[in-house]
Amino acid sequence: MPDDFRTLLGLGLVFVPLSLLSIGGGASLLADMEHQSVGVHGWTTPREFADLFAISRAAPGPGTMLAALIGWKAAGWAGAVTATVALYLPSSLVVYGAARLWGRWRGSVWHTAVERGLAPVAAGLLLSGGIAVLRVSPGGPAVWAAAIIATVVLLRWPRLHPLALFAAGGALFGVAAMW
Amino acid sequence: MSEGVPLGRIAADTAADIREHPRIGLLAIFAAFFWLGVTSFGGNTAAWLYHRIVQRRHWVKDAEFLSDVALGRIMPGSGGVNLTVQVGQRLRGGAGAVAAVTGLLSGPLVIVVVLAMAYTRIGWSSAVHAVLDGIAAAAIGLTFATGLKLLPGGSARLGPLAVTVATVLCVGVLRWPMLPVVLCLAPISIGLALVQRRNA
Repeated sequence: MPDDFRTLLGLGLVFVPLSLLSIGGGASLLADMEHQSVGVHGWTTPREFADLFAISRAAPGPGTMLAALIGWKAAGWAGAVTATVALYLPSSLVVYGAARLWGRWRGSVWHTAVERGLAPVAAGLLLSGGIAVLRVSPGGPAVWAAAIIATVVLLRWPRLHPLALFAAGGALFGVAAMW
Repeated sequence: MSEGVPLGRIAADTAADIREHPRIGLLAIFAAFFWLGVTSFGGNTAAWLYHRIVQRRHWVKDAEFLSDVALGRIMPGSGGVNLTVQVGQRLRGGAGAVAAVTGLLSGPLVIVVVLAMAYTRIGWSSAVHAVLDGIAAAAIGLTFATGLKLLPGGSARLGPLAVTVATVLCVGVLRWPMLPVVLCLAPISIGLALVQRRNA
């Protein structure tokens, strides 16, 4: 079906460049996706885009699974797979190439220095990621408090399975909302 | 003193760096990352990966994990997927990277579309939103706990710790764009690592 094929091609043409330009990910990527799928191609209405964004945040996996939903809206399951592959394959190939190149110098003085030098930056980025998610969370102070409690619990009992904590958090907030 | 000064728990042991990773089956890699994908709520793939792959299975070391996190963030694409590509590549080369990434993405792809179908049929109650908030809070806790656990430690930790604090301040608190911040702080931190090594 040429029409379906054209839509899939369109998805690829939108998400492949995004894949390669999305350094740092996050906000800029989201704005571009919104512009392309609502404004340029009309795959979703503004309202649908907001709904899909909320759904993508509720699902597990990388935050950018929103791309799969836009593809699904535009062309069903084939669209979902096409958008996902188009968004992740090009950047993954770049990273894979860099990782192979990088591994070749393993054991050299500066390879060790770079890996050790990047470690404190990475720890800072992990913590910053947590702060960023807290900031956009719609739940307010209750979420902040729960996040801090969860942090303390996980540091105090490192062998605790995080899923148990996830279940406890979900149940607690769910019950609180019903009262 | 052998190669390198221990950077807290991140003992940069060059001899161990060179040794091959234990050969892990592709199916085991796929299964581990599939489980990672379907359980990593809140977009915190890195924190889950640390918990499941580094702490539980010991497939890669702390130093390798952190280096992959940093490189994954400054390259195009999703940080979590980039991290997965690199860890898969460390475990089994190209085939390992493919197994890890398809494992990570296939579960969430199906779940997110099924959620969207359910949403268009029945919509969401406020209770669902509340449950999701609770799960998100726990996920943020996991991210913080992982970051705190990986803070630079040991005797020569003041410099690296300052780098971590500066990163949190610039990116997390002041919300400066991540890329320029990393491109400024990483060379400083790498220079620090070189100097400390020479003084050892």
